[in-house]
Amino acid sequence: MLLGILAHRYQTFRTSILNLTSWFLTIPSLAFFALLIPIVGIGDTAPIIAMTFYALLPIVRNTVAGLTSVDQAIVEAAKGMGMSARSRLIKIELPNAWPVILAGVRVATLLIIGITAIAALVGGGGLGQEIYSRGINRIPSPGSVEAILGGTGIIVLLAVIVDTIYLGIGRLTIPRGLRD
Amino acid sequence: MTDTMIELKELTKIYPGTDVPAVESLTMDIPRGEIVVFVGPSGCGKTTSLKMINRIIEPTSGQIILDGEDVTDVDPDLLRRRIGYVIQQIGLFPHIRIGDNVATVPNLLGWDKERTRARVDELLDIVGLDPDIYRERYPKELSGGQRQRIGVARALAADPPVLLMDEPFGAIDPITRTRLQNEFLRLQDELQKTIVFVTHDIDEAIKMGDRIAILEQKSIPAQFATPEEILTAPANEFVEDFVGAGATLKRLKLTRIREIDIVGDCLTGSITEDKTTLRRKLDDSDWTALLLLDEEHRPIRWLRAPDFRQDRPVDQMGLPAVAFVEPNATLSDALEEMLIGSAGVAIVIDSRGKFQGLLDIDTIINSIQLMRDKSAEFYRAEKLIDPAEVAG
Repeated sequence: MLLGILAHRYQTFRTSILNLTSWFLTIPSLAFFALLIPIVGIGDTAPIIAMTFYALLPIVRNTVAGLTSVDQAIVEAAKGMGMSARSRLIKIELPNAWPVILAGVRVATLLIIGITAIAALVGGGGLGQEIYSRGINRIPSPGSVEAILGGTGIIVLLAVIVDTIYLGIGRLTIPRGLRD
Repeated sequence: MTDTMIELKELTKIYPGTDVPAVESLTMDIPRGEIVVFVGPSGCGKTTSLKMINRIIEPTSGQIILDGEDVTDVDPDLLRRRIGYVIQQIGLFPHIRIGDNVATVPNLLGWDKERTRARVDELLDIVGLDPDIYRERYPKELSGGQRQRIGVARALAADPPVLLMDEPFGAIDPITRTRLQNEFLRLQDELQKTIVFVTHDIDEAIKMGDRIAILEQKSIPAQFATPEEILTAPANEFVEDFVGAGATLKRLKLTRIREIDIVGDCLTGSITEDKTTLRRKLDDSDWTALLLLDEEHRPIRWLRAPDFRQDRPVDQMGLPAVAFVEPNATLSDALEEMLIGSAGVAIVIDSRGKFQGLLDIDTIINSIQLMRDKSAEFYRAEKLIDPAEVAG
């Protein structure tokens, strides 16, 4: 989000930051995990780092989009009344950009939940283990298909639950004056 | 205390990447407590000039003196808290309540809660919105006119001596605009703020301005004068073109009945008097008609001598009195009333309807002639030629 704010404030950074974050997203997840293994070793660390990068794009992009979409008249009015750049950002721009930023965070979370499963391949834990170690790797032994379906089902369920939680967060944090 | 509130000295703005200045060397004294209107065609730099006063746009060169203090280089945020600012799009903060919107500057200045709250309620009252109803609402729940009122209230919150208004009524429908203009003028009567007001509408400029600056390209003042002067003595062709046709009609809208001593008297009688007394009153006078007033001194009927032959109660004789105007009305309003009532006279009454005097159409025409003595001479000269032409 901080990157997003910077990208919004400084036009010159904007394109490079946005390009960089979308570039991260184009790296196939498995390859990204594999590349990180020599650096941080097998385990949970590599996936966590990789997923942080993946999450960047939607969040940064939506932060920029959100801040850009704030009505310029509001910003000018704030400026005209003597609000400093900092308090304009905190009191005016971020609250008004918040619905869009939150949508970015939501997309990022759902994206990560999907990718996380692959982490099992590089020794990460989680529901991916269910699908790979006890499912795909053991086909056609009994119970493997169930493990795949079960693992997938739980991931989908998790995504739905998390999505609902975000809806709730939106209800609680988006100012009433901005809701439809 | 000087009489000049804002002094602009050689203000120039050159936008980066352009050679031609948007505003070139603007020098102007803005008198304390007056509304000065910047008016001009679009792209003339009037908005840029306005926004340099609170340094939303930083001048390239020049000086701004606010109440004797050079503010060209002071902290712009602190400067802006001393200057009210109203823009066309209003720019209410949609995520906070109306009350908090109005409280923006008091909060920045660190007023305590009690004082801020009292001020917010006072302001909502001033702009005609019930604090108990509107304080807790959000901007999206208000109509355009109400939002604009809040915009004005918000600008007035910390009682700044100066107000900058950038086409404040531009985006509002004509009927609401007229109402807001009138309300604002009434408010200004009490507040006596120094106001710089930008518009592209010359009629609005004439109505709102104590003084008008008609700006040409690069914000060069073609004329800086009172509306009367601009209408009667346009400085050059540019001003004349900009003011456009109907300068006389505009003058009629500018002059209020109370401002000129043209209200005449007439013969009146009261409904409490009996028919014979009224008849004798009329016969003994030089008047051809008598205006009958009710117990509250409100005009009700016109009575002429023949009317007294009718066998009716006094209050049903003659003709009903029509074409009422208040002293606050403009000559244009009075003329309109006369034309509608086809009476040739308008009855001037006070706000409670009490009879004040009579205004007849000849008086209005005479005062138009007086107002524009220069042009009047011109037309008289033209008339001398006419008979010769007819004879030829």
